[in-house]
Amino acid sequence: MATVTFDGASRYYAGNDKPAVDQLDLEVEDGEFLVLVGPSGCGKSTTLRMLAGLEGVDEGAIRIGEREVTNLPPKDRDIAMVFQNYALYPHMTVADNIGFHLKIKKMPKAERAERIQEAAKLLDLEPYLERKPAKLSGGQRQRVAMGRAIVRRPQVFCMDEPLSNLDAKLRVQTRTQIASLQRRLGVTTIYVTHDQVEAMTMGDRVAVLKDGVLQQCDTPIGLFGKPKNLFVAGFIGSPAMNLIPAKVNGEGALIGGQTIPLTPAQRSALTGTNVVVGVRPEGWTLKSDGEGIPAMVEVVEELGSDQFLYCSTSAELASVDTEPADEAEAPHTVTVRAPGMSAFQRGEKVALVPQPGAVHLFDAESGDRLPD
Amino acid sequence: MSVIDVAPRAEARGAPRRPKPGPALQHGKVGFVLAFLAVPVVIYGLFVLSPYVQAIYISLTDWSGLTASQTFVGFDNYVRLFEDDQFWVALKNNVILMLVVPVVTLALGLFFASMINVGRRGKSGIEGVRGSKVYRVVYFFPLVLSMAVIGVLFKYVFAPTEAGGIFNGLLGLVGLDGLTQPWLGDPRFAFWCVVVVMIWAFVGFYVVLFSAAMQSIPKDIYEAALLDGSSRFTTFRHVTLPLVWDTVQVGWVYMAIQAMDGFALVHIMLGISGGPSRAGDVLGVALYRSAFNSYRFGYASAIGVVLLVLTLIISVLFMRAARRERVEL
Repeated sequence: MATVTFDGASRYYAGNDKPAVDQLDLEVEDGEFLVLVGPSGCGKSTTLRMLAGLEGVDEGAIRIGEREVTNLPPKDRDIAMVFQNYALYPHMTVADNIGFHLKIKKMPKAERAERIQEAAKLLDLEPYLERKPAKLSGGQRQRVAMGRAIVRRPQVFCMDEPLSNLDAKLRVQTRTQIASLQRRLGVTTIYVTHDQVEAMTMGDRVAVLKDGVLQQCDTPIGLFGKPKNLFVAGFIGSPAMNLIPAKVNGEGALIGGQTIPLTPAQRSALTGTNVVVGVRPEGWTLKSDGEGIPAMVEVVEELGSDQFLYCSTSAELASVDTEPADEAEAPHTVTVRAPGMSAFQRGEKVALVPQPGAVHLFDAESGDRLPD
Repeated sequence: MSVIDVAPRAEARGAPRRPKPGPALQHGKVGFVLAFLAVPVVIYGLFVLSPYVQAIYISLTDWSGLTASQTFVGFDNYVRLFEDDQFWVALKNNVILMLVVPVVTLALGLFFASMINVGRRGKSGIEGVRGSKVYRVVYFFPLVLSMAVIGVLFKYVFAPTEAGGIFNGLLGLVGLDGLTQPWLGDPRFAFWCVVVVMIWAFVGFYVVLFSAAMQSIPKDIYEAALLDGSSRFTTFRHVTLPLVWDTVQVGWVYMAIQAMDGFALVHIMLGISGGPSRAGDVLGVALYRSAFNSYRFGYASAIGVVLLVLTLIISVLFMRAARRERVEL
């Protein structure tokens, strides 16, 4: 078991001035399940491959425990990896796939068989040990890939989107299985995903990356409750947080006739006169009478347990989005969560009031969170 | 002919609701099948099968190739052939060509191809050795030369020092004067020079063939092998080779049949008598010599028939030996 430390680790790709991973400082504790999450191209897979030794490190260092591994070949790092496409050896049986590392290590046959059996039992793979990967379902292949990692008893597990090739239902199931398995084995794990739900549900801590830069690394609750900047605020949580630009005047930030008061500390931290007010869908109180931000229900999304209302408001309340691609999707709309099976109708007029504790304030210039 | 059977059966299998195909359509189908099947079969029979049959018949006669008539002599030609020492020399050389050339060529091809494609752990995972793009092209060079050109060129390469032999010249340059030989003039070396040239001429093709096979192996399998602690050799032995085995198998049969021939190179490099003391003789050259030098077409045909039988046996044996379970990627 070991800690993993990234110390200013950077990676440049040939012909590209901008680093794929930029000065990454990250400390993963012993036995921790850390999830790297971010949109595609944010450098999360590169980070993982740097740790595994499949990708070079141009600047900085990576340590496993006290051992500096920056320039060690992959085989000397004591790391096991689960690949997105599983990377099973197609010509070997499941047992041989799982035991390949042990075979290379020249472990005696009997001991090897025992270890393979043990891993297979843990993953319900015993009936399939003699099959070839081509004869397995996606979920079974995924478990073989897990087995190949587990059987080694490595210091660190690296998982590169191991669930992205499974169907939705199996993904949810396997998510829980992997998380509980990791806790049982207590092996330090770094898990890459682009799915923020996976990140939130599985990780002890979640590191959010964007354009190769670490945005925030915190527990799921920390990320959700106190996003450090606009990007994290918009990325974590589903549906996304409503981010509403507002001007600050003497009293506070004004959104659609509602004043959000700013503390003196927030005022002094503000660089300009513009803020972005963030309110999660569940942070609104719905009122039917006049007080509050007037809005009209455009779409009702019924999930049974919850209901999401997509409400349009007046133009001055344009919702900003950190992702330009999403702009078309949500201009002038505010997402509101209502209890499931509520009687809201399309076209209904409502008034929205942000709950006092549910307001996040961000500096519109820098995108950083203002102190609470 | 089975062509006739096809139509009624196809009709019987058709959906019952569909109207029965009329006689015109029926006729058209037979004509269609005939056009595509009969023409190639006739051409194949005329130009491929019938020469075999004719050769077998000629081998049972004493035809000189110049006369209009021939006498049937039964298996006399074969008896004489098996008593001829030169036949056994040629056959031995053919066996050497068939065993040594494919093994060395395929081994070198696999080695170069794996170096070019997956030889190195680069900055971004697995890649070919430095300069692999250049090698990829260079290995292909011999393939653009015809066998005749290669034979003529290497005849000069292995020529005696006085005649400007490049190989002897090179040996002299690196101070190995003692090793210079009249390579093609010595019964001990003449044939092995042909072997070397044949390998040189074919390796490039297998590098290209195996490269293509190796490129279809997903890179992450190699990365998994790296993380599993597999060395280059272990990876080659346990990952690359099993995954390109199908291609090796095809290459194996093809190369063995190519090497079985060897006529062009031996004829050009060593001449019609098969080199000094006829030591480098192969069956193809012996056949040619009997037919066009001694005008014993019957005898030559007997050699040809033996060559045919051997090639058939070898193809079947190799196919059997190299058969393995297919790997699905």
